[in-house]
Amino acid sequence: MTSVPVLEAKNLTRRFGGVVAVNDVSLRVGRSEIVGLIGPNGSGKSTMVNLITGELPADGGRLIFDGADISSQPSYRRARLGMARSFQMLRLFLSLSVEENLLLAHHIRMKSSMFDTIIARRSAVEEENSVRKRARELLAWFDLEEFADNPVSALSIGQQRMVELARGLISEPKLFVLDEPAAGLSPPNVDRLITLIHRMRDEFGMSILLVEHDMRVVRDLCDHVVVLDSGVMIAKGIPEMVVKDPVVVEAYIGSGWKRRAKA
Amino acid sequence: MKKLAILLVVALVAAAPFVVGGYETNVLMNALLYVILATGLNLVAGYCGQFSFAQGAFYGIGAYTTAILSRDLGTGFWFNFPVGIAVAGLFGLLLGIPALRLKGHFLAIVTIAFQTIVYLTLSQWTSFTGGQTGLPVPSIGPVSLFGTTLFEITSLRSYFWFTLVIAVILLFAVWRLLQSRIGREWIAIRDDETLASAVGLDTTRGKLTAFVGSAALAGAAGVITAHAMRGVTPDDFTIWISATVVAMMIVGGKGTFIGPIIGAVLLTSMPEFLGGFAEYKMFLFGVLLVITVTLLPEGLIGRVRRLRERFS
Repeated sequence: MTSVPVLEAKNLTRRFGGVVAVNDVSLRVGRSEIVGLIGPNGSGKSTMVNLITGELPADGGRLIFDGADISSQPSYRRARLGMARSFQMLRLFLSLSVEENLLLAHHIRMKSSMFDTIIARRSAVEEENSVRKRARELLAWFDLEEFADNPVSALSIGQQRMVELARGLISEPKLFVLDEPAAGLSPPNVDRLITLIHRMRDEFGMSILLVEHDMRVVRDLCDHVVVLDSGVMIAKGIPEMVVKDPVVVEAYIGSGWKRRAKA
Repeated sequence: MKKLAILLVVALVAAAPFVVGGYETNVLMNALLYVILATGLNLVAGYCGQFSFAQGAFYGIGAYTTAILSRDLGTGFWFNFPVGIAVAGLFGLLLGIPALRLKGHFLAIVTIAFQTIVYLTLSQWTSFTGGQTGLPVPSIGPVSLFGTTLFEITSLRSYFWFTLVIAVILLFAVWRLLQSRIGREWIAIRDDETLASAVGLDTTRGKLTAFVGSAALAGAAGVITAHAMRGVTPDDFTIWISATVVAMMIVGGKGTFIGPIIGAVLLTSMPEFLGGFAEYKMFLFGVLLVITVTLLPEGLIGRVRRLRERFS
């Protein structure tokens, strides 16, 4: 069982008009593994994430999630199968409270039917109460318990990021896709984020696909790294090796770096 | 405390016909029907964020369903009421389908087109709908259980009380719906559709249920109206009705439970205080709408809540 990867992307391709944003990229995320997806701006990382989570349809290639082909499934079905994501540009339901944002992500795991909740059948009420309790526990885990009833719009960016992580966790995902979770965070908050992601993997056994700009985050967290440049995979391996790979260095700082370094 | 206040308001409204005359009772009855219509529109437009200018069409579909059923099959109100609700709901589903692909202005235009098509069908398909002259509808008449007549719904007062009972039941059902998971999911779809599907919500189903619920409520109001007015004509269900319902929802406060109720009562009773200017009520509604949208985007209720927060 453990040999079956949680996610296997095979030869994914996506074009926008004449631009090939993602060109024949394959990657795999094993169980309880943290895989990094890195690359310079415009290298196709975000497109790759959207292909995996289903916001965009792929023009070619296949996606195997937990042993099943999900290539043609819409995003909400992928979420139901156990794929959660966070967004590069923070996304939360802004007119709802912190707790309600979490509850919504747990709807897909609820057993009582819609009708049961409307007539307030006892089992449905009990389930709702236990989910609220779970939401509070998770918020406590992220030091956000006191904000549970506040509107999310009243929180700071750093806190909103944590709500996004809590929202992913409450849906009990097999794979959590984090799209630049460190973006916009202050250095101490980045440290906290690294600890939290480590704990998410260790305490919940979760597999994580991490898209990141911040090399420190990548180095501290990732078991494997896949590097994209102009939509093509240019390197993969363990982080220490990849960051020294001349091809990767060139992609990040351009071919003139040696000349400029000498000057 | 809150329950007591609601009970008190309902009791006061129920006692009104003893105090005021027939004309005022009629205005109150209209207000109740508009409360149902505006609350219905609020489900789809206020909570789910899918704008619709077709509430008047669903109102008409409900009314004509009962008129045609009683003409062709001779069935009475108690049979026609659920059928009218169901038929309106079905057409709501139909209008919901384009809403899966269209947003904002484009969706609004499609709902206007739908409203126009329904009006034209009611006014031109003479053999089926009676055309411009409309159709007569019998009164609800005696309501009996196990052979004994409990009460009769024929007088204006009895219609008013009956509509009040139905409105309270429907509003209670809507309130439960909004407290349940589906209410939360509608808000989620309105706030951010991409995120809603990313957390696993079936946005297609969410939008369609909102359209069906909204249309079904209008259908219910339509069936009652047809019997109370003893007849239907296409001009009772024009786009002006839809526009009025939109104005009520927005002026009162869309996306809140109480807002559209306040808006409906306010805009139904307002022309009565205008005397000779009542003719220009649509003009006035338009001005009110512009003022609300620019100065009070959350409607009267939103404003009241803000003020209350500031002073507490």
